[in-house]
Amino acid sequence: MKNIITFLVAVVLVVGCKKSTLELTNPNQLTSDTYWKTEADVQSAFAATYGLLRDVNGGFYGVRGIELGNGRGDDFFIRNDVAALYQLSTFTNTPDNGTANDLWNISYRAIFRANQIMENIDKVPDLSEDAKAAYISEAKFLRGLNYFILAINFGDVPIILKAAASTEDYFVAKSPEADVWTQVKQDFTDAAANLPVSYSSEWVGRATKGAAVAYLGKAQLYTKDWSGAATTLQSLTVAPFNYQLMTDYNDNFVVTKENNQESVFEIQLGDVGGTNPWAGENASQSIGVTTAQEFAPAEVAGWFEVSPTDKLFNEFQKEKTTGGELDPRMYATLIWDYPGATFYNKPFSSFKLLFGYSAMFKKYQNYTQDNELTGASGASDYTSSNNERALRYADVLLMIGEALTMQGKPADAYPFVQQIRTRAHLGPLATGLTQDQMMAEIRHQRMIEFARENQRFYDLKRWGLLKQEITNSDKVGKQFFVADKHDYFPVPQAEINANPKMEQNSHW
Amino acid sequence: MTFLLVILLSAVSYAQQQITVTGTVTSKDDGQPLPGVAVSVKNTTQGVATDGSGKFSIRTAPGSTLVFKALGFTTQEVNVDGSPMHVVLISSQSNLNEVVVIGYGTVRKKDLTGAIANIKGADIKSQGVSDVTKALQGKLPGVTIESAGGNPGAGTRILIRGVGTLGDAAPLYIVDGVPVASINNLSQVDIQSVDVLKDASAAAIYGSRAANGVVLITTKSGKEGKPVVQVTANYGVQRIGHEVDVLNAQQWAKVSNAAHDAAGLARLDIARNPDSLGAGTDWQDAVYRTAPIQQYGLLVSGGSQYGNYSVSGSYTKQDGIVKTTGYDRYNLRVKSETTRGRFKFGETILLTREKTINMAGGWGGQGGNPVGSAAKMIPVFQIYDTSALGGFAGAYGPVVNVANPLAQLHLENIDKISSNILTNVYGEVTLIPGLTYKLNLGYTGNFITNDDYRKRYVVGTLFSHPTNDLTQSKEQTDLLLVENTLNYNKIVGKHSLQALAGYTYQKTKNTYLLAARTDLPDGIENIDAGAGTSTTNGNSYESGLVSVLGRVIYSYGDRYLLTASFRRDASSRFGSAYRHGSFPSIALGWNLSNEEFFAPLKQAITNLKIRASYGVLGNQQIGDYLYSAAIASNINYVIGADQHKWFGAIQTAFASPNIKWESTKTANVGLDAGFLGDKLSFTADYFIKTTEDVLLNVPIPGSAGSTSNPVVNAGRLRNNGVEFGLNYSDHVGELNYSFFGAFSKVNNKVLELGTGSQQIFGGQPTHHGASSTLTEAGGPITGFFLIRADGIFNSQEEIDAYKKDGTLIQPNAAPGDIKFFDANGDGQISDEDKVYAGSPFPSFEYGFGLNASFHNFDLNAYFQGTHGNKIYNGLRQDLESMSLEFNYSTETLNAWTPERHTNIPRAVTNDPNFNDRTSTRFLESGSYLRLKTLQIGYTVGDVIKNKFKISSLRAYISADNLFTITKYTGFNPDIGRTGSIFDRGVDFGHVAYPIARTLSVGLQLTL
Repeated sequence: MKNIITFLVAVVLVVGCKKSTLELTNPNQLTSDTYWKTEADVQSAFAATYGLLRDVNGGFYGVRGIELGNGRGDDFFIRNDVAALYQLSTFTNTPDNGTANDLWNISYRAIFRANQIMENIDKVPDLSEDAKAAYISEAKFLRGLNYFILAINFGDVPIILKAAASTEDYFVAKSPEADVWTQVKQDFTDAAANLPVSYSSEWVGRATKGAAVAYLGKAQLYTKDWSGAATTLQSLTVAPFNYQLMTDYNDNFVVTKENNQESVFEIQLGDVGGTNPWAGENASQSIGVTTAQEFAPAEVAGWFEVSPTDKLFNEFQKEKTTGGELDPRMYATLIWDYPGATFYNKPFSSFKLLFGYSAMFKKYQNYTQDNELTGASGASDYTSSNNERALRYADVLLMIGEALTMQGKPADAYPFVQQIRTRAHLGPLATGLTQDQMMAEIRHQRMIEFARENQRFYDLKRWGLLKQEITNSDKVGKQFFVADKHDYFPVPQAEINANPKMEQNSHW
Repeated sequence: MTFLLVILLSAVSYAQQQITVTGTVTSKDDGQPLPGVAVSVKNTTQGVATDGSGKFSIRTAPGSTLVFKALGFTTQEVNVDGSPMHVVLISSQSNLNEVVVIGYGTVRKKDLTGAIANIKGADIKSQGVSDVTKALQGKLPGVTIESAGGNPGAGTRILIRGVGTLGDAAPLYIVDGVPVASINNLSQVDIQSVDVLKDASAAAIYGSRAANGVVLITTKSGKEGKPVVQVTANYGVQRIGHEVDVLNAQQWAKVSNAAHDAAGLARLDIARNPDSLGAGTDWQDAVYRTAPIQQYGLLVSGGSQYGNYSVSGSYTKQDGIVKTTGYDRYNLRVKSETTRGRFKFGETILLTREKTINMAGGWGGQGGNPVGSAAKMIPVFQIYDTSALGGFAGAYGPVVNVANPLAQLHLENIDKISSNILTNVYGEVTLIPGLTYKLNLGYTGNFITNDDYRKRYVVGTLFSHPTNDLTQSKEQTDLLLVENTLNYNKIVGKHSLQALAGYTYQKTKNTYLLAARTDLPDGIENIDAGAGTSTTNGNSYESGLVSVLGRVIYSYGDRYLLTASFRRDASSRFGSAYRHGSFPSIALGWNLSNEEFFAPLKQAITNLKIRASYGVLGNQQIGDYLYSAAIASNINYVIGADQHKWFGAIQTAFASPNIKWESTKTANVGLDAGFLGDKLSFTADYFIKTTEDVLLNVPIPGSAGSTSNPVVNAGRLRNNGVEFGLNYSDHVGELNYSFFGAFSKVNNKVLELGTGSQQIFGGQPTHHGASSTLTEAGGPITGFFLIRADGIFNSQEEIDAYKKDGTLIQPNAAPGDIKFFDANGDGQISDEDKVYAGSPFPSFEYGFGLNASFHNFDLNAYFQGTHGNKIYNGLRQDLESMSLEFNYSTETLNAWTPERHTNIPRAVTNDPNFNDRTSTRFLESGSYLRLKTLQIGYTVGDVIKNKFKISSLRAYISADNLFTITKYTGFNPDIGRTGSIFDRGVDFGHVAYPIARTLSVGLQLTL
């Protein structure tokens, strides 16, 4: 009996002393308390923030972002396969459009992460003041870029400059678009102050001072601060900057000529991660994009989701080169039935145009391969490593031209616009163009220079020409375009549902 | 000598008036022969006992009465008519001496104060299902059992008294004292009883995990006496119950052309000449098959005064009705108990191995799994293309990327092997009479291997996969349980006391490892041979629970009953400040029928008990480590002139440091009654269950920037309901019969949620469709909130007349489009116009059945159904769309035209009016009544039994899911969608697996 009781007590003691077993720490992950100890931690935090720009669901330069950014333009068609894309491209989208919702969410995720970097950098010991200032500038660049994306797509949005510290902080009302632009410009101004002009080869691809200046100028242009834009952007044409147009326009869209002299800011893509584009944010995720696979024709196992309209096809043919040829940018941008046309190592005659349009997109496609199924890693992950050039020096030049023209100084715009024309083997621009004539030229040049580069719809919007140009096009769904309403996406329904302070955009 | 002669003579003369009566005595519970039953001639001292096979032989006069008596059975008297007798003894357990399993012990049913539903293994009649829980469907009042999909081996989802939480609403499962994640892997041959603890009084001893109820499975034990050997075998065939009606090639082309013409878009090439297409491919016929199911079991048990044992093994093999899918399972179980002096030792060891062959997913396409693809695949396309890599043809041209379902089935092999060990070892010592100490050590190990081998293929122009890829993952979950309990039983006069105190510790650890490689040579399915990219992932999780518990069951004079219990748990899942939770309960019972004043009524009302209970239960079904803000790793980017990988890591979501236990307060009143000598028994319960601090991932605004929604204590829910159980057993001559029925009705309501105005949307019905359900304060959990479809505009005048302040409400509509109700009156149709349209929860659910036996034949029929629930038919939303380029429902043949006004909108490809939007158009009644099981059995007579020297042999033929009466047009109204509670009642075509109708034959043999 005594033994039994002794045994009993022993068992209770042995088992009972295990209180500490309830103090468990996550064996898989660091926590925010144990992170932010080294400079490498900061750098990793940046990788996690940059990467959202190419997020497969909602990154502005990921596949859905390219479809969303271009899909509403008068130069673009999206087929009736992915309902959310078809609807936004035909102006039948509703506030629960998944793609627009994802763009919103992904942009804010990037903002959350950029804010974390700014808030935590002081915790990192032994970081020089210069290094810290540069990192804060880089974080502001990323935050500014994401607010830029939100402003052009949604207009009025919440401005969040700190990571939520408590539950109450989750709910933020939206600010007027003008305030968002003020924030964008402030972030880019701050970013430009301390970012380096260039990086060592190990870090090529991160945001530079030039990128911050260019986006600041772009934000000024979008807010019609013509003189500010002209001043800001013209600073990029002189030292310490050394941007040049690539001699061959097509070099901007091939994988062998990445981060070139024309590239001001570029989204870095490579099939050097996992093998699943849809794996979410983990080691399995491939870190390129599936855009080329989605745009490739069916004959090479592509998903042929989009097509250029004939309005774009025709726009390219409005002016021949000095040699009487078609604009080289047309050959770089489109593939159509011309003598000797080959695509994915097949003659054009092997392909069928499915939507009644005359061409397919070639820009950014890896058409020297047989198809887009396998990426550089050899895995069948549909992954393209071809970097998306988010902001090219060509854009800087045309924006300078526009900013000068809009100040009533079209004559000053000539050298900048002519650089674009000369590279495209077009002759000298007629002298003495009026402001309107110069703007018409700039609009024409922007349409063909930046086709498929997430520019056209936003250009038309800021020019006030959406209704006119969409109506005057062969775009499917143009009859459903409602001026003002479709200038912006509605606030995502999910945001309204979860955020008591949120209100829907007007017209929606 | 003379004396001897006299005796002899008198014996002979006596014998001359008598006959020899032979017969067999079996138990009603399990149909097994009963040895040792005392058989006596009434009013004499003459008697014999049945032998080991339950047989007896006795000499008596015709017209006399035999009395059959056995411990634990109701005594029965039968008149002798000279023919062989089949006597079935009814266990007195169906009276009130029956012992009911409660947590950490048992209690006599008459002392029970809590709400408990229970069923004996022998009453689980359905044989044509591989999963024992399916056979319980509708039999236990208050227990909802739904199929978790029709996949072989998919199992069920069990909900006890509705949905009391917004997260994981699964109950706690305990098998022979050990918690397990699922009971789908158990074999019917193993199960002695299933007890479901429904109210707080019954379940509070399980404290923090009991809020969703507790399901206790007790496996079979041996009994004292001769060894029993049982063999069971069952073989059946399954066929699809109901396909969806879709168009053939010619019909599809006509509808497609009409839809393109209406939109002003070019017709599809493949639809150009409808009349040349014929019927085309019937994809559903191609995918489904008649599939066998077979089950075999062997049980050996026995015992003596020193102990008992029970050993069983079984094998189940079920081919799926969808080609290539299947399931098989091996079970082995050993259970024994040995008593020696004051010590008692025992154990259960249960080993199972399951293999499941699953269907492929959607291959990134929009058809979903092969079931969804088979419905949506355009019948113009061919199945095979011998020239294509992989051998399959597929979709081409500008159509929606729906995969060839047969290619999906044959070109991707997805296997899951799950091996389970459950062991429970205990030692018990009687310290002083009435006081025992028990040490219980439990361990469960679950080892899962998943293989996914994807062959290289080109299927049409939309699906291609250039390399053979293999992904293998292994997962191991170990649970260790240590329980120390003290039990004290004492009866003094009219006082009966049963007390329990315990201290328990539980730890769970899960480890996961995944490896994958691409580009394997053809025919090789091992990672080493792969030439391509490798992927590896791994992680582990751990949780712990330390508890003290106590319970007192007291009764006075078998009339006044009290049960009080208490448990205090500490869980590692919560931050240290919120770690502890206390869960008390109290219950009172009154056996009116044992009162003296009740005596006059006793003839009619054999027993009557009323019960009341109140208690608090907990729920900790959330992830581990949520209290700390984790840094997510491998959020990588590309960088550098050489474009290398840049390792990324950052906090991507918010932590939940201040969350605490979810607690559920349940009040229960109940009544148990027996009438007419317990021929008729009746149980009724009413309960109110209020859940507070509901743990939930509450959606936070996307603008907060988190990748996931943090878990918070987000609200308050209330469930209240009634349950009835009824049983009537009687006999007419040799016809024995019993009716039984179960009924339950639960109402739920969200009292508070999240931010107050919080709305949680869910139930995405199609690949791209908008959500269909809404949960918010004041409403039900997961109500359908939909834009209301108000019929069809038959003319432009009707469209023009539908306006607000002079502006058309549906400006894009044309005649033949759907009119939607502008509920908020803002002059446009938007999500703001959603209105409540019904609940996925039934107003009530029920089951009823009949068991009858006559001579050697027996009949069991069992019906089950729900009433008043709605189902959102997502597959129909796709198939009636006419806007997406895949196959359509035959209903679209009846689409509206100016000449023919119908209730199916016009065919128009770009669907400018959103006829196909998520709306009440696709909400259907989910009520159904199903003949779940119909079984006819025959038990062989003595001639055969004697010849083969067996105790009993029964053969039967059984039909499962023979018919279903429902208005629901999808595959199966018991839709079996698992996952989020907010998706309840939404039939999403991508994950469907139709229900099978099964016909089977079986044998049950006892040696």
